This record gives sequence, C-alpha cells and structure tokens, in this order.
Amino acid sequence: MTIAHHPTEETLAAFAAGRLHEAEGIVVAAHLRQCAACRSTVAMLETAAGVMLEALEPVAMSEGALENALAKLNGQAEESGAIPVLTTREGDLPAVLRPLLSGHDLGPWRRIGLGLKMRSVSVAAEERSRLFMLQAEPGTKIPHHRHTGREWTCVVQGAFRHEHGRFGPGDFDEADDDVEHHPFVEEGERCICLVAMSGGIELQGWLGRMIQPLVRL
Amino acid sequence: MARDGESTGAPEPAKLIARIAKQRDKEAFASLFGAFAPRIKALMLRGGATPELAEDIAQETLLVVWRKAQTYKPEKAGASTWIFTIARNLRIDRLRRDGPKKGQHLYEAVEPEEPQRPDSAVEDRQHEDRLREALKDLPEDQMQVLQMSFFDDDSHSEIAQKQDIPLGTVKSRLRLAIRKLRENLDDMS
Repeated sequence: MTIAHHPTEETLAAFAAGRLHEAEGIVVAAHLRQCAACRSTVAMLETAAGVMLEALEPVAMSEGALENALAKLNGQAEESGAIPVLTTREGDLPAVLRPLLSGHDLGPWRRIGLGLKMRSVSVAAEERSRLFMLQAEPGTKIPHHRHTGREWTCVVQGAFRHEHGRFGPGDFDEADDDVEHHPFVEEGERCICLVAMSGGIELQGWLGRMIQPLVRL
Repeated sequence: MARDGESTGAPEPAKLIARIAKQRDKEAFASLFGAFAPRIKALMLRGGATPELAEDIAQETLLVVWRKAQTYKPEKAGASTWIFTIARNLRIDRLRRDGPKKGQHLYEAVEPEEPQRPDSAVEDRQHEDRLREALKDLPEDQMQVLQMSFFDDDSHSEIAQKQDIPLGTVKSRLRLAIRKLRENLDDMS
C-alpha cells in the first residue's frame, strides 16, 4: 500500500511547531501514523526547532526563578513514561484512530443524507474547526460542491476519487477555501475518513441547491 | 554552574539529563535550567505569550525534564529537540481554555505501535549532526521564513506583510528550505 497524497510542507511544519488547530492536528496525526516518510520529515523539523532554540537570544528569567524551581523538585514524582490507558470506550474504532481519539467524546453515527453517515468528535472549546468521522457506502457519488473554509481529510479505510486523483488509506486531502470538487466513493469497500472542517460546504447546481437543506453537516 | 544563560563551556545537555535520571542531580538541573529556561521563555514570547505565561512554561518545561529524565532516549533525539517538544506540548495544553486534553497527548500518539527498526536510532543521531550543517548552509531568506513560521505567532500572510514579499514567496521559501534539509538527510540513507 503506497500513500500518494501527503500534507504540504507548510502543514507539516505547522504541526511540528504545534501551531495547528486541534482538529487539524489530529487529522495530520492520522496521516503520520500511516506514513513513515512524513513522520521522518516531522522528526527532522523538530530537530531543526531544537537547534534553532539553542541559537535563540535568551530572555532573562525573573529574580529567584531557579530557586523557585529547585524548591519544587522534591515534590515531583518521577514518571516512567508508561503509555496511559486509553479512555476511548469505542471498540469499533479503526485501530489507526484509537490512540488519536482517546480522551475525546464521540457522538453517535448519524445519517446526513446522500448515503453518508457522520460521527462527531469533540475538540477544545475554542476550536474554529470541527472534527468528525465520515462514512460512505461503496459507489456513493457526492454532488459537486464548493468549500467555504478549509477541509482536511485523511482516509482510514476504502477509497474515493475526485479531480485530483485517487485517495486510499493513509492519503491526505488538503482542500483549502474555494476548492470545488465532485468526489465519488470506489466500489468494493465502505469508505471511512477523518475530517477537520472549518466553514462549510455549498452544493453546486440545481440538484445540489435543492438538497442542500437536507444535508446536515 | 551556567546561570547566565550561556551554554558555551557548560557540560553537554544530554549528559546533564543523564545525571538527573541517574542521581537526581540538582546541580545538573540548575545548569540545564540556566541554559534552557531563558531560551524557552524567549521562544514563548516570540510566539505571542505574555511574560508570565512564557516564564511559567519555561519553568514547567524544566520540571517535566526533571520528572521524565529517565524516559529520555539520547540515541533518538538531541537534548534540545526533546526539550523543545516538551515546551511545545505544554504550550498547547496551556492554551486550551477547557484545560489539558484528557488521555494521551496527540504528539505521543503519532508513532505506530509496531517497533522501530533497530538501526534507525543510530541514524537519528547522525541525522542531527548533518542537519546542523545543513541549517548553517541554508540561505538567509529561507532560514528567516523557517524560523518565523516555527516560532512566531504569525500566519503566512502576516509574515509576507512584515517581510514585504508576496504570500507565494513565503510559501515557496518555506518549501524550498524543508526540501533542502530533507534532501540532505536522504542523501545519507
């Protein structure tokens, strides 16, 4: 299985720097768990950040900061780094997503029309993007639509195609504002994706406009 | 003890962390604090934190180093890289209005469960030396964009405005920089 579509370099840099919104960061992490090449780019960027940190002009800590820290040392418990027990109760989550969604609340699967189901994933209160899983039956055609914000998708299972190629497991689709597309799901397996979306979608064409009120995304 | 924030002449950070892990060595902690706390504070200020928050994260980062010293794997990441990731993760937790995320931290959940190839850790350290050289060779304008997009609280369009260059140039400089650093490492393997 080869991954054909990766996040852009800017996105990997923003991830390594810790500057993505939570929902977007989780979708990037879902790709990274499946893509050794991008993991090594992120590791390289973290190393670069470490080197740049050494070269930063220091800003003096306030008076007594070290003494303050030293005084706290005795109360610090050592941590072995054991992996905490996962808190996601959902045994039916794809293995790739389980550690990423631990500690998040998952909504029920609900039909949103067009042969699609979605399941919301809770993110931090200040988030401007939403996070959800999307599931589509094989052969589903999604009407032509336009994004009014960013939509980042990582395929977990199955595959879909649109104007920019085929997206199978691990593939990452970075659709920014004003991307218009017309995806369809391949025959065979049910397609499951993790999606971070800011803004919404506008369906295009007479059919799209007619069913827009029925689609609850 | 290096209390003035200068790491020159001070023992290697990785050795200081090892001393903390083995002997709970407070002097080693103080050296590490002197070298890194003022730089993490600088890093956080650049990222738009208030002085109080910047100082808080700097202190907490070093306390995490103290607590987790035994989990540090010098063959996997340089000391400054490890410390950077701790500070980054703390910043994310502190900026969440509803408190730190429950469960595993996102950045600790990225590695797949299957074990790494045994030789890859050695490569990781060689990579770091190569990367130091490659960073020195990066053209000034690319280095600047790389630093700004890593450390500053600016979007790419804000960087474009400040540098008085088109947005496309910011993005292409960043991509060029990252590709150049990557090629350098790929040449090795």
